[in-house]
Amino acid sequence: MKPFTYVVPKDLAEAAAAAAQPDTVLKGAGVDLVDRMKERLQTPQQVVNLLPLKQQLAGVARAADGALQIGALTTLTELEQHAELADPALQALRQSAGMTATPQVRNRATVAGNILQFTRCWYVRSEAFRCLHGGRGPTCLAMTGENRYHAVLGWTDCVRVHPSNLAPPLLALGAEYTTTLDGATRRRALAELFPAEPRAQNPEHTLQAGEIVTALHVPKQPSGARSAYCESREKQSFDWATTACAVRVVLQAGKITAADLVLGAVAPNPLPRPKAAAVLVGEAPSAALFQKAAELAFAGANPLAHNDYKLTIGKAIVRQALDEATR
Amino acid sequence: MNARTPQEDVKITVGYKALPGQKDDRLEQRTVQPAAGDAPPWDATTQFALVGTDVDRVDGLAKASGRAKYSYDVTFPGMLQAMILRSPVARGKLTVLELDEAARMPGIQAVVALKEIGNKVRFVGDAIAAVAGVNLHLVRDAIERIRAEYEREEHNVDYLVANDAPMVDDKGLVTEDWPADEGMTAALLDAKVTHDATYRVEVQTHSSLETHGGVARWTGNDLEVWLSTQATFGCRGELARALQGKKVDVGSVTIHSEFVGGGFGSKFGAGIEGLALCLLAHAAKAPVKLMLDRFEEHTTTGNRPGALMQARGGVDAEGRIVAWDWRSFGHAGFSGSGGSVAVPNYYTGDAKVRRSHKDLAIDADPPRPMRAPGHPQGWFGAELFLDELAAKAGVDPLAFRLQNDREQIRLDQWRFAAERFGWDAARARANAPGARMRRGVGLSSARWGNLGNPGRPAHGITCRIHQDGTVETRSGAQEPGVGTKTMLAVITAEELGVDLKLVKATVGHTGDPSGPASGGSTVTPSLAPAARHAAFLAKQQLCELVGKHLGVPANEVVCAGGLVGLGKSQLRWAEACKLIGPNPIDVRGQRFANYDSKPFHGSQCGVQMAEVEIDAWTGFVRVTRMFGIQDCGLVITRKLAESQVLGAMIQGVSYALHEQRILDKRTGRMLNGDFLRYKVTGARDLPELECHMHSIANGHDSVGAAGLGEPPSVASAAAIANAVFHALGTPVRHLPITPDKVVQALAKKG
Repeated sequence: MKPFTYVVPKDLAEAAAAAAQPDTVLKGAGVDLVDRMKERLQTPQQVVNLLPLKQQLAGVARAADGALQIGALTTLTELEQHAELADPALQALRQSAGMTATPQVRNRATVAGNILQFTRCWYVRSEAFRCLHGGRGPTCLAMTGENRYHAVLGWTDCVRVHPSNLAPPLLALGAEYTTTLDGATRRRALAELFPAEPRAQNPEHTLQAGEIVTALHVPKQPSGARSAYCESREKQSFDWATTACAVRVVLQAGKITAADLVLGAVAPNPLPRPKAAAVLVGEAPSAALFQKAAELAFAGANPLAHNDYKLTIGKAIVRQALDEATR
Repeated sequence: MNARTPQEDVKITVGYKALPGQKDDRLEQRTVQPAAGDAPPWDATTQFALVGTDVDRVDGLAKASGRAKYSYDVTFPGMLQAMILRSPVARGKLTVLELDEAARMPGIQAVVALKEIGNKVRFVGDAIAAVAGVNLHLVRDAIERIRAEYEREEHNVDYLVANDAPMVDDKGLVTEDWPADEGMTAALLDAKVTHDATYRVEVQTHSSLETHGGVARWTGNDLEVWLSTQATFGCRGELARALQGKKVDVGSVTIHSEFVGGGFGSKFGAGIEGLALCLLAHAAKAPVKLMLDRFEEHTTTGNRPGALMQARGGVDAEGRIVAWDWRSFGHAGFSGSGGSVAVPNYYTGDAKVRRSHKDLAIDADPPRPMRAPGHPQGWFGAELFLDELAAKAGVDPLAFRLQNDREQIRLDQWRFAAERFGWDAARARANAPGARMRRGVGLSSARWGNLGNPGRPAHGITCRIHQDGTVETRSGAQEPGVGTKTMLAVITAEELGVDLKLVKATVGHTGDPSGPASGGSTVTPSLAPAARHAAFLAKQQLCELVGKHLGVPANEVVCAGGLVGLGKSQLRWAEACKLIGPNPIDVRGQRFANYDSKPFHGSQCGVQMAEVEIDAWTGFVRVTRMFGIQDCGLVITRKLAESQVLGAMIQGVSYALHEQRILDKRTGRMLNGDFLRYKVTGARDLPELECHMHSIANGHDSVGAAGLGEPPSVASAAAIANAVFHALGTPVRHLPITPDKVVQALAKKG
């Protein structure tokens, strides 16, 4: 690790002031950041530790409008075990938080940290390779190299996948996020946290320098709302998803009256699939319907040399998520 | 037990009593001639107090509580940290190496070149230079300041396109004609059913939890190294020779290796990291620690090689194998060797048999031995081939094994395992057509052959009995976590008739008597008789003292149940030991050669069965349960023996389903050289595991033990692959069986 200045802020204002300084990174749990710093993949001048702000920025509560407010520094364990998540409408969130990494990681890792994760691409994450990501080299090396864990959808010049498994259920539930920047607070749709065009040059998120995510908000779900999150992996203990799907449906009188469907681990962004969701609306749940939605979810897929398995398995995961949400 | 006169013919009973639920004892009489002075042989009729029971690992608490100090934990005041500069080039020549700037940096105390300009660079990770300094951050800075340049040559890290590779189609199937052999052609033509298939396994890296390396400290010309190794004596010689080769004046070399965090075959040599460590400590005139990081551990310390294997064979109308043709191509590294594959030889009887193997060199880290070198690969190919052949012939895999297996021990084991596992019912259970979750069961045989060796010079063990009643048993050989200390303590306590708590076993210091490397399952069969001999000699000395004290003939004094004496004239062990005086009884036992007479069985037999549940939608394979029966000669410590078998099964699950080295072809660099993308099985992926230790009196020496490093490692992946074949109705012929391969196999099947 290279020497750096370590800032332990007393309050959010102090953290924001430090975050605005050049060559500064924000640290939540530091689950991944510390590894990257040890390997010198990231060598910031200054690290701002946000954990002292847990008092203000952690915890789950119902807001006046019925939305569920999740503090940015809430750990995945706190989220998973919170009584509010017993709601079947929020099942996707509970499932996702509960299957991330390992119990040790979940006890430490924060909700915002999970959503703001750096890519796991093995070319990007090695100092030995100079790829297009971050402008370090001329081309995406995974595109023509070893790409079994890479994107099959929504990629242009960089085939990394977004590693967050909380982002798909939050997007499916219509979540919003709040940030603070220069003393101003803004609340926006979660989709805006991810680049509209996820290219090699763009970071994994749209935050400006010094901007701090303070909370996530899951709007009040209509009656009959149900959700589910499923992911495929190569092993059960501590693995990353090869494909993931979060769905939210509203079931009324045996029919789906509203639906949202978001894929994870298959594209540079967590990827809403509105056409796949639309086909569900007005229909009664059935295997044939779910098959149709699964096909639409992967419509237009462009797999690489070593990852076309993601289409077969990803479609199965969509069907399973729909099955679990409507069961 | 009566003392017997040495060098006299001794009649013993070898073999085993019927396995639970079976009728026939497999016992035979032998006449053996123990060496002069050796302890009399244990046999199938011996009644043990301690041997074969469930004792706890003697260092279990020390390990679980962190009190056990591994090489990684050793520190000294003023100790320096060190790292190695590695080649980023897979093949080429070192053209520039400038170390001065690094050497001048504050806090850097030694820099040594490990290659000279003009030397070949053989793989990504080849060691170029090493640096020692006051902390690892500074050392890393210094490594970055070394200027090294290379003349790159074209490299290849894909063995399937290596120079001597066979012709393979785009699906990885061997398309090259088999070499002509009229006998084989005729045997295959005569067969009623024939089969031909290609199998593949990927490279499994070693990745011991404690990485390679150690701590070196010089005192004048005398060198001590705390080394993470599975061959203390081998490393002592290797380091002395290598240092002399570097013109370093070496007085003596002592290796310490009391606790080792895994070796599995990768730690026989001190290696370049061991040499670098000693050179840096010499140059810096300070103790130096150098432990590899996880990426180096994955990429520079060897691996279980991949292989491409092709089999064809046939059975006659009765289901007997009449032809067996096999060729394999090993995934060697730059050395071009070490990729060989072994296959079972007990199924083919007088069938026409042919086997060939070729290693294919690539520009990567070469293989090293790994738990049963060549066996898990070959057994996977061979046993899956047999199941496919049996399926074609319409024969149940178990019936097929019973018909073709030529070894009586295993025939008993097949039947026993089938009963305990519930084979017939599990095999008969059909998956509903189109079902998402599919179950299947599979089986595999195992063998390994080693009954220990006397060593040259002969292996020894020191046994000391102190006047406070405590006992020491000491070997200079190491224990990479397998249970050697517990084994030595149990043998000693059994021979002396004392409580195990009184015996302290110490291993890993080359000042103690020499022993073998931890390889080939040789340590237990080589050292158990030496430990027994040492305890036997120490007991004789104690009996002299007690005999004199009690006024009874020393050669009639017996040590048993914590008492020493004859008839009603008995002393408690503690009282007897008070006769010893301030200087302990201190004797050295020896490993004599195995008896001349034929042992009951020259190798170890085993059988494993596995059940899987497969999600046909996502291709996810879960192993739900495994059962193994394993022979290791005399079982000395049952719980630890079971631990060796269960551990091998866990490694087998990981090998069958998860582990594979993935190299970037353009650079030759490993992409998954960590524990996130290099997938090792975890707790949630493990099946219910059960094993039965099959204790056999082999009659080859005074103890009759065999080792357990290798034998239980052979069958697991093959049994799982066969269960996958049963569940899917189509084989997956390529390890690891990852979900992508399962969905592909199902799509192909339609």
